[in-house]
This record gives sequence, structure tokens and C-alpha cells, in this order.
Amino acid sequence: MEEIMFSLNSVWLVLGALLVILMQGGFILLEAGSTRMKNAGHIAGKTVFTFGLASIVFWAVGYGFIFGGNSNFFIGLTDFFYSGEQAEGIPYSTAAFFMFQLAFAGISLTIAFGGFAERAKLSAYLVFAILFSVLVYPVVAHWIWGGGWLAEHGKQDFAGSTVVHLTGAMAALAATVLLKPRIGKFNKNGTSNTIFGHNQVYTALGVIVLWVGWFGFNGGSTFVVDDGFFGFVVLNTNIAAGAGAVAALIISWMVLGKSDIPTILNGALAGLVAITASCAFVETWAAVLIGFVAGILVFYSVKLFDKLKVDDPIYALSVHGAAGIWGTLSTGLFATPELAAVGKPGLFYGGGFSQLGVQAMGVTVSALYAFVVSFVLLYAMKKVMKGLRVSEEEEIIGLDVSEHGNYGYPEAFVTNKEKNRLAN
Amino acid sequence: MSYLSIKRWRDSEWSNHEHSSRDVNVFHDTIMKKVFDAALKKHTEAFGPPPCLYSWIVMGSAGRFEQAPVSDQDHGLIYEKENDEAGHYFLEFGKELAYGLNEVGYPYCDGNVMSSNSVWCKSQMKWSEQLSKWLKEESFESIRFLLIFYDARVLVGEEKYGDKLKQIVHDYMKEYPHFLERLFENTEHIKKAVGFFHQFLTETHGSHAGSIDLKQSGFFPYVNNVRLLAMKECINAISTLSRIEELLKLPRYQQELSWCVKEFENLLHYRLKYHKTMTENYDDIHYLHIKELSKDERKEIKHILLNGQKLQDYTRSVIKGTMHK
Repeated sequence: MEEIMFSLNSVWLVLGALLVILMQGGFILLEAGSTRMKNAGHIAGKTVFTFGLASIVFWAVGYGFIFGGNSNFFIGLTDFFYSGEQAEGIPYSTAAFFMFQLAFAGISLTIAFGGFAERAKLSAYLVFAILFSVLVYPVVAHWIWGGGWLAEHGKQDFAGSTVVHLTGAMAALAATVLLKPRIGKFNKNGTSNTIFGHNQVYTALGVIVLWVGWFGFNGGSTFVVDDGFFGFVVLNTNIAAGAGAVAALIISWMVLGKSDIPTILNGALAGLVAITASCAFVETWAAVLIGFVAGILVFYSVKLFDKLKVDDPIYALSVHGAAGIWGTLSTGLFATPELAAVGKPGLFYGGGFSQLGVQAMGVTVSALYAFVVSFVLLYAMKKVMKGLRVSEEEEIIGLDVSEHGNYGYPEAFVTNKEKNRLAN
Repeated sequence: MSYLSIKRWRDSEWSNHEHSSRDVNVFHDTIMKKVFDAALKKHTEAFGPPPCLYSWIVMGSAGRFEQAPVSDQDHGLIYEKENDEAGHYFLEFGKELAYGLNEVGYPYCDGNVMSSNSVWCKSQMKWSEQLSKWLKEESFESIRFLLIFYDARVLVGEEKYGDKLKQIVHDYMKEYPHFLERLFENTEHIKKAVGFFHQFLTETHGSHAGSIDLKQSGFFPYVNNVRLLAMKECINAISTLSRIEELLKLPRYQQELSWCVKEFENLLHYRLKYHKTMTENYDDIHYLHIKELSKDERKEIKHILLNGQKLQDYTRSVIKGTMHK
């Protein structure tokens, strides 16, 4: 029986890894659809190579930093260059667990790159992919999931509203601040322009791929299939996403007079990000509420960043940042005594403010760490690499051509002269 | 007078003519007539005098005598004789007119509603045929054209041509009253400017952020719905205000439309008052920046916008036959 459970758990973890890695496909669609045609190939392609890079870094040091032994305040110091060795007394394949965790590290990095969109140099992606995967993500992940000090405080973050989403979003924030807005985003009189994404269908498809992938993200985070608890986690995940989409539709309709498609899509994602921390700790009605609040929050967060003149092309700061914070705090409110396997029950379940306090401290420290370290790294890169951003000319012609000498959509850009040359 | 000297004269005189919407429109008429004379002189020198009687009609806001200080051109020609010579002569003349107006400061019409386009430059006979075709066709485009034509006003030449052609529309309307429903649907979409919480729905992005689109959200509901009611009652008046006045002579409209005159006058007033702070860009003139308004003015504008919606609902009920049967 134990062997069967070992196998089943391992299958479940690999399936989870598979779904989470597939979320990279969701991000490709989401990001490419939300940005302009001239950058489409670049945005799609860079996701593949940065995930490749993140995989190798995670294997070399990331995994050891997070889960290794002999740890100091920041990181663990064993299990580098992970060999696939099975850890003793664990009810699933350690290699499967490794893959599952690797997939998460990759997602956090991709979220961070949301803040780079349409203006960063390819070399900036390359260097930051390594630095983020070595110095930023593993530290927060170690603190909360690797037995670090926040884990000892009983910080609840079931599948990573803080660890994965907020960490990524904080790096994205550092990047947007240093990169400055895209050309044409803000007018001299302080108003902002909408830079429309080139394919709303891609963006919507991206959301659906992410939505389904999230069942692996949250459901897989049970690690084991024993009592079928993952089904409950997936259920909470789904209804929070639904509530987020509906809330976003309602709020945009009421405030703008029109239901805004990007807002609806952001609402679904915000619901997913928010429920990520709490999906295993709260009852279903609370999941609906958490998703609903996230849908409204993301709408106002987007408006706020716009007002602050922070150019966030794919809304990473609002979807993963604002909703990530809310999701982390939400367990401090709604975690039930029966479900709180980690930490204590929330404020509304007789737990008082103690869990909410732990959540607030955890989210603040993690966000600060991720922001400050990312900012310092990017600032140093900016100095050493003589700028993170492509030239104005390159930005205007688009990164497909300027960074790759290629077109995402050749038909739309190839000039008549080139067409003739190709025809002959 | 050359186009350039007309433009100079217009620019120097402008400030004396912007006290009221009526002032503005009288002045527009004078300028356009001067352009017409200059164009005709130039064309006569090259191609001889006009081969027959004609009338030059202006449409859109010019037709309704409701032009903003900056306005694009909408016009057409109706001539007496149906033959190739006249056709060629007037189409070429139409091109000269459009060119002249553009030179003087009336940008070309995006929708190509200009005498230089054969659709809007025809003999009386061909015009009648075209109107009948538009009426029967009931396509989105033909209905658009019909509604544009319905605001035509003769600015130069034979007065009777315009009314004669509109009679075709009125006759059709009497025979097929349901046609009005189709017309209503064509202009039913209004850009909302007041939201769920009774808040202004301003532009959120772009150079007009913080402004409402006074043309689409303010003028359109009044202009379009009053036009439809005028069509229903076969009223020949053209300006929105005079159409309302004519409608008010009919007892069944007195209660429902009595407030309309004041609201529309206010709308004209606001556009005039606030255009001065804007650049002379045709697009800018339609936007009203909410922050520039006083508290009372905001309240008044909101009232106008909400009443536009009310007028639309009322017109719908009249046209769909649930009222005044």
C-alpha cells in the first residue's frame, strides 16, 4: 500500500509540474497578446530561454538554497547540483518534488519579466534571470517553505501568493521603476495613453491556460493524494477565479460605464493569485469572497499605477502584487481551525489578530526583500551594462527586429522590396 | 477675393462673432457664401457660367445652423438639368468648393459628404432616384446618408430644391411609418457619459483624459432624436431648436418636450464657452474637461446628459408606437 501511495503521490507531483510548466505557455499568450505586434516574437521566445536558464540555475543552486540543510538566516547550503537522490522518509519521489518546485521558480521569474516588457534589452533578461533565480526567489522561498524563520512563525502561504507571485511582482516593480515607461505611454500634460495589446484573443486564451494550470499550482501543492484533499483545493481555486472575473466585470461596468475586457481577464487572474495562499485553509464561501475582493482590487490597483505613472504593460504589479498581498492577508482573516494545518485560525474564526499579524509581517518583509534586492541588482546591471533599455530607435522599430533580426509576424512587416527579393 | 484673403478676413473678424451660437452660425454662413462666390468666379473663368439652375446645400451641423466655431465641411449640389455637360461641370465645381473650404479652414469631411463626391452632387432627377433608392434599400449606409441629407439647408441658389426632395422622404414616411424604427436603430447607440453612481464617465486615457465627449454624449441624443420626431411629423424646420419649436405646437409633445429647448440651448452655450481654452483642432472642440467646470456647471451638464437619455427613451416609445397611437 505504501508503495502504491508513493507512486500515486509522485504521479500527482509530476502532473502538477507539468501543469505549472504549461502555465509558461499561458504567460506567453497573455504577454504577447497584451503587447504590440512588433514585440510578439521576442516576448514569446524570451519566455522559453529564460525558463531554460532558470531550470539550470535551480538545479545548480536554487533548490539547495531553498530546501538544503545547514541553513543560515537566508538560505540552505546543501543539495547543490541535485543528483535526483531520494530523500529518506518522504512519501513521494524527491525528483518529482524537485521538478514541481523548479516549475514554481520559473513562474516567479516570468512574472518578474512582466515589468520588462517591450523595452528591456535581451541581455538584461539573460543576466537578471540568473541573478533573480540565485539571490531573490530562493531566499523568500526558503523563509516560508524551506523551514526558514517565517515558516517557524507559522506563516501561511499554501501555494505561493507571496513566495511566487509577490516576489515576482516586486522584481517587476523594481524593473518598471528603473526602466521608465514605454515611449508614448504618458503625455506631457500628465495624462496616460492606452497602448493596446495586439491580440485580445491571445490574452484571453492565456488566462484560460493559466486558470487550468493553476489547478496544478495549487492542487499539486498538497504534494500527496492520500485523502483527496487536492480536490477541495482545486474547487476553491476555481471559484475564486470565477468570482474575480465577475467582480472585475461588475466594477468596470459600474465605474467606466462599459465592461472592460482586460479588466475581466485581470480579475480572473487576481482571483487565482489571491486564493493561492489560502486555497487549503479556507471554506468555499470565503474562497468566493477572496476572489471577489481580488477582482475589485485589481481594477483600482491598475488605475493607481497608471496615476503614479508606472507603466506596467501586462499588469503584473496589480495582478501578482496587489492580489498577492491580499491573498496572503486573507488567510489571516478566514483560515479555519480545522483547515489551518500551518499556523493558527484567522480573525473571523476566533484566532484573533495573531495569524493576521504573522501574515502582514511575512508579506511586508518578503516584499521588501524582493524589491530592495531586485532594485539593487538591476541598478548595478544598469551601471555595468550601460543601461537596461534598448535605444529609442530600437524600441520604435520593435524588439523582434532590433534584438533578434526576425519578425513575429513577417507578413505585417516585410517591405515590398523584401517581398520581391523573397519571390525571386 | 482669394481663399487666402477670405481666411485672413475670417481670422481677423472671428472674435466679433463668437458671442452666441447664432452669431457663430451667421458668420459661418457668410464665410461659406464668400467661399462659394470665390469658387464660382474661379470656375466660371475656366469653364464658363453654370449651364443651368442649381442649389448648394450644406448638411450636418452647418445644415442645422449648429456649427461649432471649428467645424468640418458637409455639403452637396443639386442642379436642374440631367445631362453630361451639367454633370461634369458641377462635379468639377464641387471639387473646387471642397478645396476652397479646406483652404479657408473647414477640413475635408472624413465621410466624403462633399460636393466633390458624385453621391452628393446630382441633378434633381437623379437626386430623387437616389433618395427613393436609399429609402427602399434600408441598409445601414443608405440610412446614414438619408439622415445626413435630412439636415440639408440651401445656402446658395434655388430654395425650393431642398424641400422638394425632402417631400419624397415625408411621403415615404406616411406610407411606411415602420421605417422610422429602422432609422431609430441607426442612431440608437449613445456613448454613455454618466455612470452607475451618477458619476461622469470621462475619457480615461489619451490627450482628452478627464473630458467627456460633448458631441457623442451630449449633442447626438438631442440632435438625432429630435430629427426623428421631426421626420415622423413631417416638419420642414432644420435646426434642432426650430424643430423642437415646431413639435411643441403639437399638443401631444408639449408636456414631454417643453424642457428640451433650454437644455439644448445650454449645450450650445457650453460648447461655445469652453472651446476658447482649446487649440483649434477639429477633434478638440467636442471635448469638455470636467475639472474646468464649476460645481453648478457640472450639475447642469449632468442634467443635460441625463435628459438626453430621457429624450432617447421617450423617442423610442413614440417611434415603436407605444405612444401617440
